[in-house]
Formats: sequence, C-alpha cells, structure tokens
Amino acid sequence: MVILGALLLVGISVFLILQPIVAGREAPLWSSGEEPTEAQFRKRVSLLQLRDAEYEFAMGKLGKTDYEMLRRELSAEALAAIREEEAEAEGRTSADYAEASADIEEEIAQVRIRLRGGSFCSECGHPNPGGSRFCAECGTPLRVPEPSGQGQA
Amino acid sequence: MTALGEFALWIALPISFWGMAMGFVGGRQGRGDLILSGERSVYVVFALLAIASLAITNAFLTDQFQYYYVANYSNRDLDTYFKLSGLWAGQRGSLVFWAVLLAFFASVTVFQNRNKNREFMPYVVGVIQGILGFFLVVLLFAKVNPFQQLGFVPPDGAGLNPQLQNYWMTIHPPVLYLGFTAFAIPFAFAMASLLNGRTDSRWIVVTRRWTLVSWFFLTNGIIFGMRWAYEELGWGGYWFWDPVENASLLPWLTATAFLHSIMIQENRGMLKIWNMSLVLLTFLLTIFATFLTRSGLIESVHSFAQNTSIALIFLAFMGSIFIASVVLIIYRLPGLRAENQIESFLSREAAFLFNNLVLLGAAFAVLWGTIFPLVSEAATGQPVAVGPPFFNRVNIPIGLILLALTGIGPVIAWRRATRRNLKRNFAIPVILGLVVVAVFLAMGARNGYALATFGISTFVLAIVATEFWKGTRARARIEGEGFGPALIHLIGRNRRRWGGYIVHVGVVLIFTAFAGSAFDVEVRKVLNPGETVTVASPFGHTYTLVYEGISSSVEENFDQWVALMSVQRNGEPVGAMTTSRRFYRVNRQMVTEVGIRSTALEDLYVILADVEDFEGMVGNDPNAQRIVVQVMVNPLVGWIWYGGVIITIGALIALWPAAEARRRSAALEPAIAGGS
Repeated sequence: MVILGALLLVGISVFLILQPIVAGREAPLWSSGEEPTEAQFRKRVSLLQLRDAEYEFAMGKLGKTDYEMLRRELSAEALAAIREEEAEAEGRTSADYAEASADIEEEIAQVRIRLRGGSFCSECGHPNPGGSRFCAECGTPLRVPEPSGQGQA
Repeated sequence: MTALGEFALWIALPISFWGMAMGFVGGRQGRGDLILSGERSVYVVFALLAIASLAITNAFLTDQFQYYYVANYSNRDLDTYFKLSGLWAGQRGSLVFWAVLLAFFASVTVFQNRNKNREFMPYVVGVIQGILGFFLVVLLFAKVNPFQQLGFVPPDGAGLNPQLQNYWMTIHPPVLYLGFTAFAIPFAFAMASLLNGRTDSRWIVVTRRWTLVSWFFLTNGIIFGMRWAYEELGWGGYWFWDPVENASLLPWLTATAFLHSIMIQENRGMLKIWNMSLVLLTFLLTIFATFLTRSGLIESVHSFAQNTSIALIFLAFMGSIFIASVVLIIYRLPGLRAENQIESFLSREAAFLFNNLVLLGAAFAVLWGTIFPLVSEAATGQPVAVGPPFFNRVNIPIGLILLALTGIGPVIAWRRATRRNLKRNFAIPVILGLVVVAVFLAMGARNGYALATFGISTFVLAIVATEFWKGTRARARIEGEGFGPALIHLIGRNRRRWGGYIVHVGVVLIFTAFAGSAFDVEVRKVLNPGETVTVASPFGHTYTLVYEGISSSVEENFDQWVALMSVQRNGEPVGAMTTSRRFYRVNRQMVTEVGIRSTALEDLYVILADVEDFEGMVGNDPNAQRIVVQVMVNPLVGWIWYGGVIITIGALIALWPAAEARRRSAALEPAIAGGS
C-alpha cells in the first residue's frame, strides 16, 4: 500500500516536471506588457513626489523657497522620465525629442492643474491653480468651473 | 500514511535540485520549457512537503511512538491541541515545517507571477529551490530525520516539555516561522535581479509587500513569544536577552532597517548596494535564527534541541550564500551605483539612513552579545555568560534614539527640509514631552531611562497626531473635501506611509511598557491560610491578597496544586485569583502556572513560588497548607499586547491592496504621456 502510494507520488512528480520538456510546453519568457518600464516607474515616482511635496508644503514642513525649488527639480525629473518613456515607446533616440520638451513641460503642468480642479485662462491658455480669480499670466478674470470646498473662489 | 511522509521527503530532494538547475539554466538560456519545468517543481515540492508534514501530524495524533521524534515530544495523555502542534515542537519537525512554509510562499509567488516579472522568475525559482534543497539535505542526512524509527515501540512517549504546553507556544513558532520564510521571497528576487542584471528598483517594488508580510509576522511572532515567556516562565518578565530571543530579534532589526531603506531606493534611486546587503543580511539572520534555535549550539531557555551535528551544515550553507551573494553584488557593481545623492542632512532620506545605522548598530550589539559566549569559549575554553545587564546597557539608549526617530522622520520632508519650519513643527511636541517628564518627576519617578521614554513617547504621539490632523486639513483644502473623506482618502492615497505611522504608535506603546517595568513592585511572603500579603502599586493604590487555601488534584497529564487568593484593592474586594504548580508525571517536571489579573494600567502577577510540605499537601492535610508566594505589580505591561494590536492594524492598512490608487495612476499615466 505504502509502496503503491510512493510509486504514485514519484510518477505524478516526474510527469509534472518532465512534461513541459518532453511536450515542448513553455512558460512565457517575457511579461505580458502590463508592468511599468523603468521610465514609467520613475515618472510615477516623480509625480507622486510632486504631490507629496505639495502636501508637505501645505502641512508646513517646507518653506516656500524650498518648495518652489523642489517643485522645479521634481518637474524636471518627471519630464526626463516622460521623455525617456516616449523614446522607449516610439523607439526614437534622445536627440529626436529634445525639441519637444517645452510642450511636455506645459502638459505636465496642465494635467496637474486639472487634477487639482484648477482652470485655464480663456485668453492666453495659462493654467491657473484651483481657486484663482484672475489669470496669473495675463490678468484676465477667470470663470471658475465649480466652487471648491473651501469657498475661496 | 506516516511512512509515505518519509518517501515524500526523499522524492522532494532530487526534485528541488532539479528545479534549481532548471531555473538557473532555463533563465540563462531563455528556454521556456525548462523554466516551466522549474516552476512546476515548486508546486511539486510544496505538495510533497505538505504530505510529509501531514504524515508527522498524523503520527502525533495516532501516538506512533515507534518514531523517535514522536516518542520524544509527545505522550498518550498529551492534549490533542498540543499534539497538533507537535510538527513544530522540536527540531526535526520544525525543519520540515520551515521548508513547507517556504514552499508554500514560493508556490504563491510562482502562481502570482505566471505572467508577470518573467525575467526574474527563473532565478527566483532557482534560488528558492536551492534553499529548499538545503533544508531537505539537512533533514535527510544530518541525523535529524523526523521519520527515524526507534526499532521498537515504547509503551508511551517521553512527553512534551511542560513549558511548551501553553497556548502561546502553539502559535508563537508558526508565526515567527512565517516571518522567517516569507523573507526568502525578497531575498530570492534580489538575487534574481543580480543574476538577470535588472538592478533597478523593480525587485523592490515587486517584493515590498512580501517584506511587509514578513515583518508583520516577525513582529507578531516576537510579541507572542514575549507573551509566552510572561505567562509560562513565571518570573514576571517577558524578555531575558536569551540567545533564542535575540536570534528572533536580529532579523527583525535588519528587516525593519530594510523596510525603511527601500523607500529611499524607490524614491531617490540611492542605497542600492545597501539594500542588497540588508536583504542578504536579513535572510542570513533568519537562517541563523532557525539554526540557533534548532541546533542546541548555545545554551538558552529554549535550547530544546541537542544535536550539534547540523551546525556545520548550516554554517556551510550560510557561508556559501554569503560568498555567492557578495560575488554577485561585486559583479553587478556598475548597475548598483546611486542615481542621486543625499542633498541635505535635514532630509527624510538622511533620517532614514540614520535610522538604518542605529538599527544595524543594535543588531550588531545583540549579535555580538549572543555569540560572544561561543567565541570566548572557543578561544579560552572558558564560557562567559553575557547577561541582560550588557544588553540593557547597550540597547536602551539605542532604543531611545530609534523611538525619537519614529517621531522625527515623518516631519522632515524628502530631499531637504526647511529649518525654520522644522523648529515650528517640533516646538509643541517637544514641549508636551517635557511637560510629561516634569509631571512624572513631580510624582516622584526618578528612573532616567523611564522618564526619557515617557517624554519621547509623548513627543512621538504628538507628532503622529499632528501629522494626521495636518494631512487631513491639507487634503481637505487641496481637494476641496470634507474632513471625513479627506482623512480616508489621505490614508488610501499612501497606505504605506499612514499605516506606518499607526505602526509607530504601536511601537510607542510597547516602548512605554518597557519603561513601565522600571516601576515593577515585588513582594515575597510565606503564607498560611487566612494570612494576607500586601503590595503597593506604583499608581498609588494597594492590593491585599488573602490566601484562602490550596487544593490538589490529579489531571490527565499532570498533578496540580492550586492556591486560591481573594484580592482587595484599597480594601475593596475585586475578585479572586489562582496560582498553581503542576507536576507533569511523564516528564517528571514541576512548573509554575502564574496567576495574572490584568487591568489597562497594570498586571497583578502571583507566583506560587514554593509549597513547603509537599507530602502533606498531596494528602490534602489541613495543617500542611503553608506556601510561599511572590506577588508582583507590573505597571503598563499590557501595553505591549495593545501595541501589538495597533501594529497589526497599521501593518494591515499598509498591506491592503490600494485598488483606488492603482486605478487613478493608470488613468493618470496615459493622460500625461499622451497629452490629452
């Protein structure tokens, strides 16, 4: 009885580990696309850090000067990661996309403003933080889409 | 059934080495069929080890004393509950248990990653099968085979050590082992990243949940062990700096360091070599702890295993792992260079780094104190005992620094903090801490370390509370939410951080409990029935215990003498408690079962230290009821267990899958990249 059980165990075990090799069944060598690349990871980290810095400023851990400086650095890092990601995606070399950088910087700012419930100036298109009454760029009065919870608008 | 278990081990041995070879070769050559074979071997080894474990448990439940292991750790009258835990009661079974837990975690990992992280998986399989193979070699060739037969069938077993016949002892080892084995997964991924050359932060991102799981189990395992020591060893304390206790603390210290330092690598791309070293060190320490507990190398209250022949095999294994890892790290050195530098001493990464250094300092002090007796014996032939005074002298100051850092770290911003803001943020918590110290001084407390602990604890709690409050307020303002949703979203957005702060609160409670032990009160008295013993609590009230009498009884597995005491608090009756001594007939061993009466602030702890006229007592002679009791008031001791609960809550928050955050980031990424 025990011998039979042991033989059964050997049989099943050997079958399971040899079957892939004999029958040519393969495990995938590469992941099926959903996991982030290094550039995507760095982009995510920089964007999260931007948010963190914003909170740390709001919570009084960072002074205004430090916050501004940090935000510039982090934006630059996020930007570099985005460039790299685009290059990865489209197979371009670094020289090709250097000129497109200004647009991307603007894009980051826009996305972040939109996430914050901010608005864009109807005249010049400048993104303004949530709660702004006038455009920081050209002074045009802003139409605020919906009042924010703090009632500053 | 039981015989099949041994076959299972013998089959598992070649299969684990097969899996190791398939993993490494398949990964190297990019052969999908070999990799699949290797991955399947993980499931197969798990199934075989599960069969072996069930076989051992079955042998315990059916009293198969022809097996050496069962005969030495069980007897017929042993409670079924303790027979069930026989698998990890001794060295032989617990090695199987270790392996089956690792194989289980490995199977989960292989299953989770069947379509993900494919470039790591072959090597992960290779590393884990290597570890499993090692354990199987030990089991089958180092004279610790749990299926070894005696050659005859004794009428009864020798019984389980009475001190292990305790509820906490049934769950403390498994939980600790879960922590030990779970850490093999981050280690395997780290090695895989060195082998496949992907030395970025991916392995950390993939395994940080495993790291947390491991840390969570380690922490609870240690706390359960303290609980066991407190209830069972009967001297009123919970930690004795015993080698085996130290062995479980060592990987906890380095795992805690690792848990913090991976955040620096994720955020700043720094400390890559450091993290590799920490993951290696922690893994080696989990092996070291297993080895120390189960080799009988160092005398300790736990040294329930006596065989030293496996010591060399363990040392050789640890040595090979160490050398192979260091060679790999050196080989990949170019890829492990830091992408950034620490910008300012006043930054969270600097605080984390400091925390790491302090934790490692503690680990080395504990390690040194633990192995010094061995080294000294080897060098001079004279064993030197390193006792609690050494460990306390070194570790209390280190612990206080760590405690303070749990408050300082959260307030310092990443990269660089603003000095002026720091002063403002620290002012109120520091003042609160000083006020608490002043209050305790005024109340007459004079123990410097205890005062410092209370002050720093208050400081940390104030910081954490302020963090939660300010974070919620900032979130409410920035996102325009109400405070309730803002708090929930704040935690949800960064579970690891806020869960971590809650863990810090639990740590503060535990440290406060440690400090409370400075105010323990102890009275020892000989009592005849009707006589009283009085003990004054440091909180100002007085307990009076009236010795009502003692009764003896014969239980299934032991004889016992139970002394009944009625308890008065400031003269008011508040109940009764018992304290007893048990004589385990099979083991021929006497143990005390303490009586504990817990309140939120203190424990009343009664030890039946001696029964003077033993024979008279056995005959229930009314004139032979004189006993010696030791009565203790242990202030704040319960806070260790409360702290453990809070740590569990915090760790679960940190571990909870952040579905919402993932959805949002998925929506965010295309929006930014595509420039909608």
